[in-house]
Amino acid sequence: MRRRDMSEIHPVLVIGGGPAGLKASADLAELGYDVVLVEKLGQLGGAPIRWGYKTLAPELRPTEEVMGPLIEYVEGNGNVRVMKNSVVEGATGGLGDFTVTVRNLMNGATESLKASAIIVATGFEHFDAKVDPRYGYGRNPDVIGIHELEGMLKEGRVVKRNGDPPKRIAFIFCVGSRDKSTNLWCCTVCCGVSIKQAIELKHLLKDADIYMIYMDIRTFGLWEKLYWKSMEEYGINYIRGRVGEIYAIGDKLLVKGEDTLVRGPFEVLFDMVVLAVGMEPGSGTAQVARALNLKVNEFGFLEPRHPNIHHDSGRDGIYLAGACVAPMSVEEALAEGSAAAMQVAKALRRLQRAVVK
Amino acid sequence: MSQRKKKGEFIVERNYVDDQRIIEPEKLEIGGVDMSGRWGLLVLPRTIEDFDHSLHAMVKNHPRGRNIDRCWQCGNCTAACPVAEENPLFNPRYLIYIIKLGYKLEIEKFGNYVYFCGSCGRCSEVCPKDVDPSGVMEAIGTALRRKP
Ligand SMILES: Cc1cc2nc3c(=O)[nH]c(=O)nc-3n(C[C@H](O)[C@H](O)[C@H](O)COP(=O)(O)OP(=O)(O)OC[C@H]3O[C@@H](n4cnc5c(N)ncnc54)[C@H](O)[C@@H]3O)c2cc1C
Ligand code: SF4
Ligand code: SF4
Repeated sequence: MRRRDMSEIHPVLVIGGGPAGLKASADLAELGYDVVLVEKLGQLGGAPIRWGYKTLAPELRPTEEVMGPLIEYVEGNGNVRVMKNSVVEGATGGLGDFTVTVRNLMNGATESLKASAIIVATGFEHFDAKVDPRYGYGRNPDVIGIHELEGMLKEGRVVKRNGDPPKRIAFIFCVGSRDKSTNLWCCTVCCGVSIKQAIELKHLLKDADIYMIYMDIRTFGLWEKLYWKSMEEYGINYIRGRVGEIYAIGDKLLVKGEDTLVRGPFEVLFDMVVLAVGMEPGSGTAQVARALNLKVNEFGFLEPRHPNIHHDSGRDGIYLAGACVAPMSVEEALAEGSAAAMQVAKALRRLQRAVVK
Repeated sequence: MSQRKKKGEFIVERNYVDDQRIIEPEKLEIGGVDMSGRWGLLVLPRTIEDFDHSLHAMVKNHPRGRNIDRCWQCGNCTAACPVAEENPLFNPRYLIYIIKLGYKLEIEKFGNYVYFCGSCGRCSEVCPKDVDPSGVMEAIGTALRRKP
């Protein structure tokens, strides 16, 4: 009788190379497991890298501080095989002995791999604001989404289509969130993200007047600090209400809405409008749910066996982590990645202990 | 011409229209035709069209108004205010809001209610964000008096 050693354990398959998937891969690699990380796109890092977040809420620390070391470790550590531009097309078997088909999206080639366990961390996609016509997104280039503003802030150049810096800017909260005609859920981070961006805009464009048009401010937990700071130190204005329509008038935008605190409609001209677009499970998560036959909830997010225990997919040997389960912040996605890695390590240790004939 | 009792008396649902938005010329002649009376009546829209931050800036510069930007509109001040209890048109939370955002129309309509404040300071005791609304009332009063 002997223990199986590590070399007899198949690699762990991690699907999705965002904060959650990277953290899961890094932790497992550090514990000595081999990992295969399958990422749909040509780069690792998930949303924060793809959209070029300059800093992270709530403390406005550079995104690289968090994502840089993770990506470096995963790519440099010999234990992780990174397969970019690839998706998993199917898996048979179970814990300890999965057979997985991976397709390379660039050349169409497929490869069959063995895996001991699977972690799904396929994240979210931004709500496409074109779906909700009231904001004129897609028709007017000065109406942008928070994900696009992230990239502009990173470049240090925020200008209107005509090249002028915007003087008066409105953020509209809950676009594609908490709305029966689009998505019912709250994306949990976009209040904080919008406020973070408003502060960054104030650093960049000192004279800009910034108005946050909100239903509720949901800066949960310690993110509340951001909200207070934005009012007290940066003089950012908050208007409670919703926007019904946006028209282009010359090179300005007429924003029509109701301020529910004054019981009155407003029609005010802005230079730029930023939409706080919500989070959706997206096509990547739908693809993996089909390929692995995972349960999805009414909203399309992956449904764990128990709503309070995210990592348990309900299928033996398959674990969930990050924003593919529910909207969440980077810190939560990292913690879920670690949690899923821990579940895998536990399960594989049980296998290692098993008697080998 | 009929004797007018009240501005805009012809308006159906008159209660919903503020006096300040009714324009009713005493005598209106268009092309030699007398259009006085209900024909000349004009009701201005009550849409907020712009922000005017001049009063806000004056309040922030006043020693007792400098914390106005902390206000997050919870309404604790109004709930504690003995004057607001008697006269709901005096509303410290609301005054702070319209000054902060610079809603000209609303300031024209409600600004002078600020002088109803009894300076008892009860609002400042309950404000969760240390705005000192009592001080802000004083600052708004001063700003309104000084505004050119
Ligand atoms: C504009 C914006 C700004 C934000 N700013 C902050 C912030 O400042 N602070 C903060 O804490 N949070 C912020 N967030 C939230 C943050 O982006 C998420 O919490 C985080 O990205 C979730 O990580 P994840 O790994 O679960 O998912 P993702 O980051 O979405 O990563 C998922 C990865 O999986 C890949 N993938 C998807 N489908 C498949 C598939 N089928 N096969 C293979 N790979 C696949 C994707 O390409 C992606 O690389 C922000 C969100 C938005 C919308
Ligand atoms: S100080 Fe003025 S606003 Fe504050 S509670 Fe007293 S009367 Fe009301
Ligand atoms: S109690 Fe303070 S924070 Fe609340 S509305 Fe009044 S002044 Fe603003």
